[in-house]
Amino acid sequence: MLRPWIGSGTLRSLRVQRLSRSSLSFPKAPFSSAPNRYLQPPTSADRVPLRKQLKQEAKALRSHKKQRKETEEASRQEWELTVGVEIHAQLDTEAKLFSRAATSTSDTPNSNVALFDLAFPGSQPEFQIATLLPALRAAIALNCEIQPVSRFDRKHYFYQDQPAGYQITQYYEPFARNGYVDLFDYDGIAPEDGERVRIDIKQLQLEQDTAKSQEYPPSTQLLDFNRVSHPLIEIITMPQIHTPATAAACVRKLQAIVQSCGAVTTGMEMGGLRADVNVSVRRRGEAAGQHQYDGITGLGQRTEIKNLSSFKAVEDAIIAEKNRQIEVLESGGVIEGETRGWTIGSTETRRLRGKEGSVDYRYMPDPDIPPLIIGEDLLSSLRESLPTAPDTLLTLLVGSEFNLPIEDAKPLIELDDGARLEYYHDVVDILRSLQVDQDDKTRAGLARVASNWVLHELGGLLAKADQAWDAEIVPARSLAHLIDHLQRKLITGPTAKQVLATIFDGDRRPVPQLLEEENLLLRPLSREEYLALAESVIALNPQMVEQIRSKNQLGKLGWFVGQMMRTGEKGRVEAPKAEEILRELILG
Amino acid sequence: MSLLREAERCVANQYAHGFNAFITPLSRAGPWLDRVKEADVRKQEGKPKSAVDGRLISIKDNICTRDLPTTCASGILDKFTSPFNATVVDQLEASGAIVAGKTNLDEFGMGSNSTNSHFGPVKNPRQDSSGEDLSAGGSSGGSAASVAADQCYASLGTDTGGSVRLPAAYTGTVGFKPSYGLISRWGVVAYANSLDTVGIMGKTTANVRDIFVRRAWALSLAHLKKQGHTVHSVSLPDTKHALSTYYVLGPAEASSNLAKYDGVRYGARAEGPDGDGKPDGYLFSNTRGQGFGQEVKRRIVLGTFTLSADAIDNYFIQAQRVRRLVQQDFDAVFTAKHPLAAQGADKIAKANDVDVIICPTAPSSPPRLSDLMSNSTKKSPLDAYVTDVFTVPASLAGLPAISVPVTVSGQQDAELAGIQVIGQYGDDQLVMKVGEMLEGRNLD
Repeated sequence: MLRPWIGSGTLRSLRVQRLSRSSLSFPKAPFSSAPNRYLQPPTSADRVPLRKQLKQEAKALRSHKKQRKETEEASRQEWELTVGVEIHAQLDTEAKLFSRAATSTSDTPNSNVALFDLAFPGSQPEFQIATLLPALRAAIALNCEIQPVSRFDRKHYFYQDQPAGYQITQYYEPFARNGYVDLFDYDGIAPEDGERVRIDIKQLQLEQDTAKSQEYPPSTQLLDFNRVSHPLIEIITMPQIHTPATAAACVRKLQAIVQSCGAVTTGMEMGGLRADVNVSVRRRGEAAGQHQYDGITGLGQRTEIKNLSSFKAVEDAIIAEKNRQIEVLESGGVIEGETRGWTIGSTETRRLRGKEGSVDYRYMPDPDIPPLIIGEDLLSSLRESLPTAPDTLLTLLVGSEFNLPIEDAKPLIELDDGARLEYYHDVVDILRSLQVDQDDKTRAGLARVASNWVLHELGGLLAKADQAWDAEIVPARSLAHLIDHLQRKLITGPTAKQVLATIFDGDRRPVPQLLEEENLLLRPLSREEYLALAESVIALNPQMVEQIRSKNQLGKLGWFVGQMMRTGEKGRVEAPKAEEILRELILG
Repeated sequence: MSLLREAERCVANQYAHGFNAFITPLSRAGPWLDRVKEADVRKQEGKPKSAVDGRLISIKDNICTRDLPTTCASGILDKFTSPFNATVVDQLEASGAIVAGKTNLDEFGMGSNSTNSHFGPVKNPRQDSSGEDLSAGGSSGGSAASVAADQCYASLGTDTGGSVRLPAAYTGTVGFKPSYGLISRWGVVAYANSLDTVGIMGKTTANVRDIFVRRAWALSLAHLKKQGHTVHSVSLPDTKHALSTYYVLGPAEASSNLAKYDGVRYGARAEGPDGDGKPDGYLFSNTRGQGFGQEVKRRIVLGTFTLSADAIDNYFIQAQRVRRLVQQDFDAVFTAKHPLAAQGADKIAKANDVDVIICPTAPSSPPRLSDLMSNSTKKSPLDAYVTDVFTVPASLAGLPAISVPVTVSGQQDAELAGIQVIGQYGDDQLVMKVGEMLEGRNLD
């Protein structure tokens, strides 16, 4: 899970922080979060030597993981898990679903609220047609059948974050049905699901968000009605998922798809996307269960876990709930159809309300809102303008044209809403034109070199500075020129990194001019100069030379290379040549 | 008589003979006086803004006004003033009319006698032969009484199942419920949205039309078929189920619409911490318990039941089916095709088809208030519901209907009756025209 672009210093502190947590449910750091947050040293005041503590904790973690894996596998052999997912995602729209008030996530609380949003007497809903566009994009991207006629219904329940006493949703006739999402091995599905698994999507519906509550225990709650009636889509999958990892991968993939098609901007980490999961188990090889959900029969009684706010929480909550159900059934108990909750870091789901306390939502067609009629003309123009799907992009990047490893291709696609990928394309295009005189083999490798610089070198600088992505910080042209110089061995690797940092900090000189003026172009050392340099470092460390010779500890050659780079004239010592000379002198 | 004289006399009547028609009467002095004087000048110059320029129009207190409170006759909106005007109020003011105060009603429009009000019952300006106070009908009883007692030129009410027509029949005034959807509901506090219609009450159909015509032209619905002047009896076989259908659908929508009154964002709140002060108690239980009257609570519970998972198929959904049948009953007997009927479903007119249906508005003359209010003679809520039997079918079908007073000579007591004219959807003008032919007739 550690991103390769995190510099080694950062890496160490990150590991320290991570292992010093006693909880094993450290959430995955999302791509966009700044690693800076983890840079503070651990606050624990115990006096156990750090190195020892780290070792112990790492060991405990490993054995715990192994044990967990074994018990999970044992229970999987005996019990079949079935999971369905419901996702609520805030649509990227200017206005709310039924009023002209602006949507906002960061404005002053209660500053964007129309009378209808507060359910004032006599106020009427005004459906905002523009909210349809992102909703339809999501439906198309999820391969749904879009319904020519759909309707809005009222779902009744009392809560102070719900001003009208009901939420307007699409219960009886949703606007999209029968879609699917394909999950691949690279999406992180469980190994037993193979290379690909298809999860059907039952329906997508448009609905209103509720107000945001802030609790100040014991008795104060503040309500921000800015969020009320923010347009949401609810995505409901069929109960076709059989492993916790695949369920988490499904939520992650759904988020990536709705984001990449421009339907949704804020993901789980910002609270723009929430997931509910329903979970049931049944013993393998036994008679089919009594229950059926969404037309899938033979399942066990299911429970629902509400409001999961991270991918990690989805996976952990399902594991915990599955194990709870198995335990109940194995001790002769019965699973109750109930709603449960999950707190991050806990090991058990907790009961929120049982069947007897279940809410009867009294779904009623909304008499104030006419049916939604969607024309084929709108759909076809949306289909044409939809951006390329992430899976298609991935196939392209790992294909022969770019030849990227999947672990580089994925972040390129996912980072910065596609802006990173666009930048990467620019760099590769310029670089290829600069290297047009090179042989085919060299040119074929350029895409991979460029991805390394865009993701890891540039990414590392961004992370260190805790800065958001902006394609103008290091113009694509500058980076392409820098890589071009490096490829032609006109500068050394360390020089290239140093120049990148200079540009990152605001130096706007064209790269050739910058290299010239700063005297950074490589003036290769002569063989005599290399020999002199090598001999001087060897002379200072005769015992290490002896170890290399007698014990064949070739790893120590690298240390001598480092010494040569350090003592030699800056930017002139090339590591491969230095090593060549050292081998010659030490090993003969 | 000048508009100012007329207006001052109306206001004097508001204070002299109350009949409890108003929850908020017009103040005797105010900026409205200047507006009426300006209208008088326009009238003298022969350039009035409209037929209602400078006239006082009272507004039922479930229609939002920015300058006067809008209580819906409910404790829960006791002191509530809306931050905006209903569209109909804006339109009236733009035509030069003056809001003549806010009239009393059954709480949220639920009732047939205007006795279910947080502010006390409305009295009918008419009394029976023994001098007993009579019901003004409901739920727009305050509007009807204000017209009958010359406290305004005309009044806006709302008609969900007969709430304009019934009080018109009881008070001897004209009450018109236009086609559903013809007049804006923006700013009209919902009772049952799919039935709620703004209605107009006046002394004569002409008064009513003064207000209505302006809206009708704007919507330019095709209207007025040729009148046959012949009388046919028609059969509406499913209409016998209309009343029970109405009392399923109305409360269902009401239970949903009234869910918003929790006292959190506006309206009255019960004293002290709500939900018995327990952390898991409901924030609104005492507030709603105290704020709503009996009839409103009864309908919320009814509606909550008919929408509940176990009952919805037998009640709410079944009632929607019956509602469609009621509408088809009307379509089958009217000459005119329903303008919103599916394309291609051409109507083949039969020999016996009619342009309008004429029937009584109420099955009986107004009951005595003392009978309604005293515990010994108090009848079950069902008795009041039955009063709506003739008015509810047109509401379910969304049809225009008017109630006009007709005098039957010879009898002292029941001398005045409301006769209802119902037309095809969009035939609002024809309905008023026929109403005018009957209005004020002295029949032997």
